[in-house]
Amino acid sequence: MEEMLRMEHISKRFGSFYANKDVNLTVNRGEVLTILGENGAGKSTLMNILIGLYQPTEGKIFFKGKEERIDSPSQAVKLGIGMVHQHFMLVEAMTVFENIILGDKRSKGVFIDREARRREILELSERYGLDVELDKLITEIAVGAQQRVEILKALYHGAELLILDEPSAALTDIEAEGLFAIMHKLVDEGKSIIFISHKMREVLHISDRITILRAGEVVTTVKCSETDGQKLANLMIGRELSSSQYEKKQAGGQPVLKLDGVRYHEQSKHNGLAGITMEVRPGEIVGIAGVDGNGQTQLAQVITGVIAPEKGTLSLKGKQVSVFDPSDFIENNVSHVPEDRNLQGLVGDMSISDNLVLKATGSGRFSKGRGLLLRPKAIRSHALELAGEYDIRCTSVDQDVRSLSGGNQQKVILARELESGPELLVAVHPTRGLDIGATRFVHDQMIEARDKGVGILLISADFDEILEMSDRILVIFEGQIMGEYSGQNPPIQEISLAMTGK
Amino acid sequence: MNLSAISSIILATVRMCVPVLLIALAELYSERAGMVNIGLEGLAAIGALAGFMLTYTTGSTWVGILAGAAAGILVNMIYAFATVSLCANHTVYGMAINLLAPALASFIYRVAFGNGSSLMQVELMRGIGIPGLKDIPFLGPLLFDQTPMVYLTFALVIFTSVFFNRSKAGLNYKSVGEHPKAAATLGINVTGTKYLSCVICGALAGIGGAYLTTCYSTTYTEGIVSGRGFIALAAVIFGRWTGGGVLLACLFFGLCDALQIRLQVSSLGVPYQFFQMIPYVATVVVLAIAGSKKAGPKANGKPYRKEER
Repeated sequence: MEEMLRMEHISKRFGSFYANKDVNLTVNRGEVLTILGENGAGKSTLMNILIGLYQPTEGKIFFKGKEERIDSPSQAVKLGIGMVHQHFMLVEAMTVFENIILGDKRSKGVFIDREARRREILELSERYGLDVELDKLITEIAVGAQQRVEILKALYHGAELLILDEPSAALTDIEAEGLFAIMHKLVDEGKSIIFISHKMREVLHISDRITILRAGEVVTTVKCSETDGQKLANLMIGRELSSSQYEKKQAGGQPVLKLDGVRYHEQSKHNGLAGITMEVRPGEIVGIAGVDGNGQTQLAQVITGVIAPEKGTLSLKGKQVSVFDPSDFIENNVSHVPEDRNLQGLVGDMSISDNLVLKATGSGRFSKGRGLLLRPKAIRSHALELAGEYDIRCTSVDQDVRSLSGGNQQKVILARELESGPELLVAVHPTRGLDIGATRFVHDQMIEARDKGVGILLISADFDEILEMSDRILVIFEGQIMGEYSGQNPPIQEISLAMTGK
Repeated sequence: MNLSAISSIILATVRMCVPVLLIALAELYSERAGMVNIGLEGLAAIGALAGFMLTYTTGSTWVGILAGAAAGILVNMIYAFATVSLCANHTVYGMAINLLAPALASFIYRVAFGNGSSLMQVELMRGIGIPGLKDIPFLGPLLFDQTPMVYLTFALVIFTSVFFNRSKAGLNYKSVGEHPKAAATLGINVTGTKYLSCVICGALAGIGGAYLTTCYSTTYTEGIVSGRGFIALAAVIFGRWTGGGVLLACLFFGLCDALQIRLQVSSLGVPYQFFQMIPYVATVVVLAIAGSKKAGPKANGKPYRKEER
């Protein structure tokens, strides 16, 4: 088989930290090579080297048999390497058409020949089944369509090797199926694809070969037909992953949280609460199952004091809450792992150690005079301790939280929220976007907290996560609780139906 | 109001609008590449001085205009280097230009002409009537009997609109202000474009300043720019970051200026400062109404770091 790309002994260092170390890989024409690895294993760095955004510290790159120095993105585009980034590189204020022709070097002339360009794009779009509406603004089209624009853009710029960085992360199942169909078409036409993902099912479904990356180094490359999910997972995290069966518990005692007929923006089906009555007892995980956008966000906000219910009551440890203010809830030992970690959970431009004490700056441990003067030493040593305990992988605790991978950011939040000694933990999509290893870690920590007597409300759109973790399952639909089920041998069929409102 | 009053207001509007328009276009080119340059006031001040001095020494207003552009570019390179290469804060360095450049201009003026009270004067650029068009009754003499700088400025508005909406280069240029990383992945030279934008911005703002001393006032005085840099900043926002929009905004501010002069002359008994306030009050009002709705280029004012993780 003809070789398209070969990377030899590639290393990339940031300061003293090796993001990639002595990486070798090859991609043949007409195949899908998957690069599998946990968050922070160096997948994105490797790809950024390939497209000329980063320069490798060491190593050689051969493209179509010739050694090439890819010192700029334009060089990569010229060679025929295109990438669809995990966070799309689309200019939102421009139309689909403008985004595709952006940076066009092939056509001559000062002005944009709209007719000719449109014809070229439409031809490509038909050939590969990439259905897009050229005159819509990027903000007006769905995520799946934005992705098709990205692929079309790469093809328009002459890509023969296409890199797809976690392309299915933002897609619904149906959209993902469409993506795989497109990928099949591309390789049938002789293009090559580097597919980056950690969703095992997808990887096994679409790949020809799989290269596993761990801590910046290649572990091995295997043929897809000769492996299975368990083997891959073990190779990826470097140890045997025990099967994840958590023991289900039944809790008694006085509820830490009690909601009675809570209503908020009832008229809005997707962003309101229409009379929620429920409770969480110490030492149990209550899972809220439901399709995204059925009031989960508002439920979490009410329970953490961000918004006040319009009707109904909320009690913490048996005491009815009258003032809804997050700081009161924090004082009542309510911890919160929020839905969007970058928007709500962390201050990206602050260091790890500062983020870890955000809620406790007033305590005597970290400051003198109730927050008047901070104790930097105590804050730092606290951070070092937690970084070890929660396996936060960083070069230094003084590093900006923004520069951490998603999994490590989530660990920072979890460390802060669990260290504050909560009695109630509200965790919203706690493992969204996390890889297997980090997910397992978060789950283990939550189970451990439960066993210590913390009442946990788990809100997740990931049904598997709900089933795995919950001691009791409540189903939410259009702001209402549709039913309660035991976490022990839950009736999956019935719950699925309840999630659709039946 | 009679016809001659109206015609004199239109004439004044066009005259008042041009320097603001030049400076606003400077900012438009800057912000389209994501560079929020609030140092326009300073750039225009140094441009005004350079324009005056070179016109005074060579006797040619065109040399003065070019000198204004060169001075603007030179000073703006401080801002460019600090913000593009060193990723410094745009506002801080823009403000630094605003503090540095006018003071530098006054200093140079005193060194060159001394502290004396006699005002040095230059001869202003002459108007050129466009044959045919200038004979249109009423409007002809108002719009088509101006200095070449007026025509050039309006031509620049048209060019700007075409550049950003129709040309490939303009599309690439805009992408740098919207999403520099995306632009970089497509092989667009982000750093180069940002520097280019600073050159254009410095040149146009400098010319805007030089216009004041070559086409507007026969002499250089301290504070000759008198807030036009800030009004231009507002005009870009009001004009929604488009050539046509900026033109309309500047005409509106020009009209306010023309009106206030008219009112100053005709209303005795009211302190003139009250009328002088009008353009600035209009700016505040307009910004309050138009400012928030649609933010401009998305990566405006944000540093672009190449190997950011």
